[in-house]
Amino acid sequence: MAPQASSHPNVALNLALAVVASSTAPLLLLKGDLTLVGASKSFCSAFGIDPARVPDKPLRDLGAGEWNVPQLNVLLKATASGLADIEGYEIDLHRPGKPDRSLILNAQKLAHGDDDNILLLVSVLDVTDARIAEKLKDDLLRDKAVLLQELQHRVANSLQIIASVLMQSARKVQSEEARNHLHDAHQRVMSVASLQHQLAASAAGKVELRTYFSALCESIGASMIRDHTKLSLDIDIDGSVTSADESVSLGLIVTELVINALKHAFPNDRAGKIRVGYHSQGSNWTLSVTDNGVGMPKEISRTKTGLGTSIVQALAAQLHAIIMVGDANPGTTVSLTHSQISVVAIANDTVPADRAI
Amino acid sequence: MKEITILIVEDEAIIRMGTVHMLEDAGHRVVEAANADAAIEILEARKDIRVVLTDIKMPGALCGLRLAKVIRDRWPSIHLIVASGLSAPAERQIPKNGRFIRKPYTAQHILEALADLLGPNPAPYRYSKDVIQNYGKIAL
Repeated sequence: MAPQASSHPNVALNLALAVVASSTAPLLLLKGDLTLVGASKSFCSAFGIDPARVPDKPLRDLGAGEWNVPQLNVLLKATASGLADIEGYEIDLHRPGKPDRSLILNAQKLAHGDDDNILLLVSVLDVTDARIAEKLKDDLLRDKAVLLQELQHRVANSLQIIASVLMQSARKVQSEEARNHLHDAHQRVMSVASLQHQLAASAAGKVELRTYFSALCESIGASMIRDHTKLSLDIDIDGSVTSADESVSLGLIVTELVINALKHAFPNDRAGKIRVGYHSQGSNWTLSVTDNGVGMPKEISRTKTGLGTSIVQALAAQLHAIIMVGDANPGTTVSLTHSQISVVAIANDTVPADRAI
Repeated sequence: MKEITILIVEDEAIIRMGTVHMLEDAGHRVVEAANADAAIEILEARKDIRVVLTDIKMPGALCGLRLAKVIRDRWPSIHLIVASGLSAPAERQIPKNGRFIRKPYTAQHILEALADLLGPNPAPYRYSKDVIQNYGKIAL
């Protein structure tokens, strides 16, 4: 094809014009003096140009003169003289009575073996709509961040209100037992708040248990341990990461078991320590709270089931975990174990959760 | 700790009441304001306020951070504690020698910040211990 085309210049030009005209991407074909040779139909329809009036028109006279952009002319002339190509040059097209368009231009001198008749091919990409969509997306993302902040603020304030009401009730009640219950309730609220902080700081609702339990124990210790030289609360947690739902249950279980140990394991100012452990392998995990206190009463059936125990049992069932209470010699270990085997056992109801504790 | 006068600026009445009780129970005198304008009026009228504890997000012309900045400029000797349920603000947003505590806070959080601010060697950081632990990535 090529030798034939070069021997018939008009055929070659017509072919080039036909190719340009049919391009779906807006294209202009220019001579070295920046008069138009042709334009694609897509260009004419996108920018409201009559195709019949394109040939031989200087670029500066195209349309109502909106293509007469001095900086563009300089660049196109430089391209025609072979000094540079235009790559990704951005202009705003101002048209009288119509909204501005943001364009990205690319231009290059065509190497067609005829240095006397310089030809430039200019492609015009209209990015106005893409830019608007991009801005809209940015605005939406910003709105979303603002909403999320607003929500975080509201959650924290609501928790603070609940905590305030509980503490003020605790100040007012006469009964020591009622006051203790209100303090426990306050601690439960603060445990949920502690998770809320973790979630706000984490990505995609995943919670790193070591960080969370460390903050949680710090919070429980600060409000419930009076003499830190006598009682210590520490953690032994692997690098497990869990979902928000699972961590809120695990956090509440830890809260109950630690409160329970603080209340019962160390009577008469007995010194000791409590350790919270969590280890997982695949989908199997074990959570434990161990103290070196006085141990459990021998006849467990005679002690009344407290709210704490009910909470732990309900959450353990929700997590498909089996509760075991063991002697830690001295002291007590309460552990919750979730394994594929225990899930099957619970499903078959062979080991009811309330028998295990 | 020696008894001092603390101004609490918090728009939510129940939180304000709870915070007043926390500080009164710890033996301090407490003055309260529901917004930044009221806080400034109080500060202009009385000279005994040593510490201002302010919520960050409040309705009105001044948010807590702006209020804290105004106080730092006009009454440089007053200690500042700012509180918010949001993640800790950037360190530069907290006035020099100020402290940040996160909501929901307990009496311990405020008392720790007070002990540090009024103690002989206030730490150079602006976050409470709890916040530092939870936001391990914050550079001090």
